[in-house]
Amino acid sequence: MVMGRYIIIALCFFASHVVFAADAPDLEDQTRAISTELRCVVCQNLSIADSPSEMAQQMRAIVREQLQAGKSPQQIKDFFVTKYGGWVLLKPATEGFSLLVWIVPFVALVIGLALGIFFIRRWAAKKRSAQPVTADPKLLARVREEFASAETEELDLEDPSPRAPLLQERSRLYADLKELEFDYQQGKLSQADYVDLRRDVETKAATILGNLDEMAASAVREKVAARRPQAAKQTEVVPPKAGLRGWQVAVGAAFLLVFGLTLGVVITNSLKPRGGEGDSITGDFLTGTPTASKSDLSALLQEGRTAFNKQDLRKAIEVFKKVLAADPNQPEANSYMGMILMQAGHADGALMAFDKALSQVPNFAMALWGKGMALYQGKQDYAGALEVFEKLLPLLPPGEDRNAVVKLLAEIPAAGKKPQGTAKLAATTAPSSSSAPSASSGQITGQITIDPKLKAAINPQAVLFVIARPAAGGGPPLAVKKIDRPSFPLSYSLGAENVMTQGMPFTGKITVTVRLDQDGNPGTRGPGDLTGNFKKNPVEVGSKNVDIVLDQVAK
Amino acid sequence: MALRRLIVTLAVIAPVLWLLAFGFQRDARHINSPLIAKQAAPFTVTLFDGGKLSLSDLRGKAVFLNFWASWCPPCRAEARDLEAAWQKVKDKNLVFLGIALQDTEKDSRAFLEEFKITYPNGRDESGKIGVDYGTWGIPESFFIDPQGRITYKHVGGIRAALVIAKLENAAKGIVSAQEGKGDFVPVR
Repeated sequence: MVMGRYIIIALCFFASHVVFAADAPDLEDQTRAISTELRCVVCQNLSIADSPSEMAQQMRAIVREQLQAGKSPQQIKDFFVTKYGGWVLLKPATEGFSLLVWIVPFVALVIGLALGIFFIRRWAAKKRSAQPVTADPKLLARVREEFASAETEELDLEDPSPRAPLLQERSRLYADLKELEFDYQQGKLSQADYVDLRRDVETKAATILGNLDEMAASAVREKVAARRPQAAKQTEVVPPKAGLRGWQVAVGAAFLLVFGLTLGVVITNSLKPRGGEGDSITGDFLTGTPTASKSDLSALLQEGRTAFNKQDLRKAIEVFKKVLAADPNQPEANSYMGMILMQAGHADGALMAFDKALSQVPNFAMALWGKGMALYQGKQDYAGALEVFEKLLPLLPPGEDRNAVVKLLAEIPAAGKKPQGTAKLAATTAPSSSSAPSASSGQITGQITIDPKLKAAINPQAVLFVIARPAAGGGPPLAVKKIDRPSFPLSYSLGAENVMTQGMPFTGKITVTVRLDQDGNPGTRGPGDLTGNFKKNPVEVGSKNVDIVLDQVAK
Repeated sequence: MALRRLIVTLAVIAPVLWLLAFGFQRDARHINSPLIAKQAAPFTVTLFDGGKLSLSDLRGKAVFLNFWASWCPPCRAEARDLEAAWQKVKDKNLVFLGIALQDTEKDSRAFLEEFKITYPNGRDESGKIGVDYGTWGIPESFFIDPQGRITYKHVGGIRAALVIAKLENAAKGIVSAQEGKGDFVPVR
């Protein structure tokens, strides 16, 4: 009895092992099966089953875990779809809009086949109609006679005369006739096919005979004409059709060769790994933004400046990168990259960019300004900043820019006296513009209203930009304030916290304008945007009641 | 006749080429996340200070949830901005929570130290929270309203002003239709 119990326990134990042993590969198989249908979200068209990435491993672990929790494959796929959307499925769903992905290729295939059949039939019909239905009976009789008696001229393969190809063609056609005869006698051809094919070949042979006769007659005429030199020039030999066909084949072959080479070169040069958000696997091919050549750098620089001024930094980086790809030492592009890096809080990177620009043009004012600000604001290297600004000062003509540098030169020694602890704190909070020297320089305040006639033209998604530019020389905005979905009248204040380039002083005379961007996208300046200027522009920083009316419509 | 044939051929080929070009250029990952306006997935994360934090504990507050990694340059670029934004709103009924993704504890701690981050941060060790939020590039930021609904998603670096504006929107339950985009790096 006891023995029996042990046996039952042992059986249960082994049975459970057998069950687990059977389950484990099943779970792995199921995990793999589901994983092959899920896209690795950080790869190019790889399933999570095939990708070695950490993300794919994590996703596989989730699949396995959910299978163990008793979820069905469909529930697991649905889970990933709720997180990433339908694109996470390597096989799109066969319902809704995704159904098109399944249907369209088959529809295209059917249409392609139908078109193919249509064109082949038309081509065949044309060819049939192009063939002579009847040939000269005399020539046909000659063909039959020559074929029956096998009385043909012997071929001279080295004959360079225009008759040679025709003679070769005639011999080939007679050989075809012989073969047809043989096949028919062997029973390989039906009576009807034999008659059709024989007539076809005989007709072609008769045409060749006709051409040969014509050629012979021409030769005689040429001989006669040779005796009359003036007439000889007018005699022309009709080019044989075989020559035309050869020309067509050559053109076709050349076209195919060029097409193949182009496709090969373009595709291999255009595909590349996707490295970032802005990248496509075709690189710049198909995007209409080819790598810049040195000749169009000025246009690109202008594009970059515009993007930078609009604070579309992604676009600006993209454009300046293109410029630097064509000319890695371009001082202006390096300077702008430095400005962008400064804005992102990377003083070291910014300094490298400014130094690169200065290595090409030691007196490049923009780079000197940027380097001075990076040393002053980003690195608290006051001695270094002073040296740079002192070098910059004589390069600037009298005006706002020069005044700003003079002011900075006066400020920096004072800043240098700051306790070390404060300086360190400022270094770690560099992006906060409150530490900029111009923070205490005051604000411009006022009210923005809209022309009552234009009130109806406001898009609910519109965004208002209050823009301050240095009065002297215009140039990029010094400060911009963005206000989402504004309601008018609207009070505003513009100060150092709105300065676009880290460290730029918000001082001096400023031109203030406003723009209501209707689509809410600052990158697009479209017709219908409303604009307005302060009537007494420019104003001093610290001015109040700088009231502006949105009264112009951009065209 | 030849011109007509050329026009017909182009009319057939041009849309196909356009479709091909469009497909090559388009990154499917940029299709709007299905998570926007949906309930945020619940999670509990162990914070670097040793405590635990559950999303459900934050119900009733607008939450800024930021996925980052110490090896990700755009995360470094935005780090100071995020801390500056936190300093501006920390006294309001708003919560910042950072989650390190695909990162070691040592590197994550060094990152927080370097940028003097003071808001709560934890680490997603298994990557499950990242998958639950459909992350594929970092930094990625989510804004969650007091009812626990995702109101806005931003893939890539984000500036302080936008964080505050979107968080204030989240506090009011305003959902943004479009995702935001910035510089990012794909997760590994």
